[in-house]
Amino acid sequence: MSDEQIKRHTPVTIFIHWFNAFCWFFLLATGLGLIGNEQLQPLVGTWWPSMMRIIFGSGEMLLVLHIICGLVWTVVFLIYAVFGAKQYVIPFLKEILAVVPSRDVMWLFTKQIQMTMGSKTLERMGKIFGFDAKIPDQGFYNVGQKLFAVPSILGGLVIVITGIIMALSNVCITDTSVVQWSILIHFVTVGFVFAGLLIHIFMASIAIGERPAFISMFTGTVPEEYAKHHHKLWYDEVKGKLDV
Amino acid sequence: MKTQLAMVIDSSSCIDCKACMVSCKVENKVPGGYWRNWVKQREPRFGKIPGAKDPAAQAEGCRTWIIQAPDFDKVKGYGDPGSMHFQPGGCMHCANPACVQACPTGATYKDEKDGTVRLNDKLCIGCGCCIPACPYGARYRHPEKKIVDKCDFCAKRRERGELPACVITCPTKARTFGNINDPESDVARLVKENKTVRVVNEETDTEPNMYYVLTTAPMNWPRKAESPTPIRWWASLAKPLVWAVVGLNALGVLVMFGKQLIIKDEETEK
Repeated sequence: MSDEQIKRHTPVTIFIHWFNAFCWFFLLATGLGLIGNEQLQPLVGTWWPSMMRIIFGSGEMLLVLHIICGLVWTVVFLIYAVFGAKQYVIPFLKEILAVVPSRDVMWLFTKQIQMTMGSKTLERMGKIFGFDAKIPDQGFYNVGQKLFAVPSILGGLVIVITGIIMALSNVCITDTSVVQWSILIHFVTVGFVFAGLLIHIFMASIAIGERPAFISMFTGTVPEEYAKHHHKLWYDEVKGKLDV
Repeated sequence: MKTQLAMVIDSSSCIDCKACMVSCKVENKVPGGYWRNWVKQREPRFGKIPGAKDPAAQAEGCRTWIIQAPDFDKVKGYGDPGSMHFQPGGCMHCANPACVQACPTGATYKDEKDGTVRLNDKLCIGCGCCIPACPYGARYRHPEKKIVDKCDFCAKRRERGELPACVITCPTKARTFGNINDPESDVARLVKENKTVRVVNEETDTEPNMYYVLTTAPMNWPRKAESPTPIRWWASLAKPLVWAVVGLNALGVLVMFGKQLIIKDEETEK
């Protein structure tokens, strides 16, 4: 049954993932465009904020759109978190927080070697240094995915809160130091999550063997062989439930 | 040549009537407790010297002050420590504005058309980073609008062909206003025909566009431009840190991608 498909992602999950991705890129583009100060702008020079102001008409239009997109993003996630708590959010959180250190640290170690130096080198190293070269089985998400999921959720919360503070600055805030610290924390958090995002995008779509996973973010299903190889513990659970 | 609006002030004509401050406040609806412009005072030093405990120390204090008074003793009429001196001022629309360098978004900027330092009140979120950057304390955060406000050389009046309120109101005509790059203007003529000074902080020279004829007092009041800690940390710590983290990750991704493209091995199957 080599081309049997297993259901991996629900339509809601698929929607929220791409909604998140789209908002993130729009917010990143407009947010970077708002940093008109050359000393603070992470991209070299002011070409990006200048270009964005030309495209969107003005700095204040960039600000308005950035805030609107941020608010829409926040509201949709709030609705998702509240109404989808039982069906989506809590299972998701349970999954990404389920870490077994002995198994998962070994996975990080062996998978890293396999990815950079190949399976044969992994085997040889196992023989030389005396460790089991078998890459430990993983669940629905492997620990690498979990290591991105947790900071990006926490980071997302920090980004939203500092963003709201900045948006409220000229509405109801009298203490400017709160706004100033929010500006800094917002930037640093976005920077760190973006760094992780680069790896996420590569690992989830471009890396060898990930094609089925990428497709599943559209179709919702993965081939049985893929699940068996990459997420064995999840595969066993699903199969255990189905083969009654 | 680009227009640079500027002010030349004869502070010896100032009688501290504060009509310039009042007319500015009325014209620009400046809220109570805040000012877009000012008249600085050089206090006379007769009477009690602060900290002096006996008449000898008093006398010594007076003498010290006389000796240290800048330039004044050399200029006739200013050497008398018993005299007061008034210095009208306001935003100096500097050529090298520290406030523009401090603003994270570019909401405050140097206007290319007339050389004034302006504020985009729709982009400003009132974060206040620019306020400690001004050596002259020319900027304040509007308590109701909660964004920053300051002198704009009465932009609306200028659009109607009128002079700024403070200039036209001054009863002694201490303030002269115009384009300093236009050789025919009054300000250009005054600067050409007279010795002038600008009031500048030793450590922060923002190249103000406000000139005082001959000399003025007090001179030592502008403060060094300061930046709020979060913004200093952004430029010095956060930016390199984010570069490093993003750069390392990007490098890792590129290496893996390159390896994937170049090396065809057994891994391509799974």
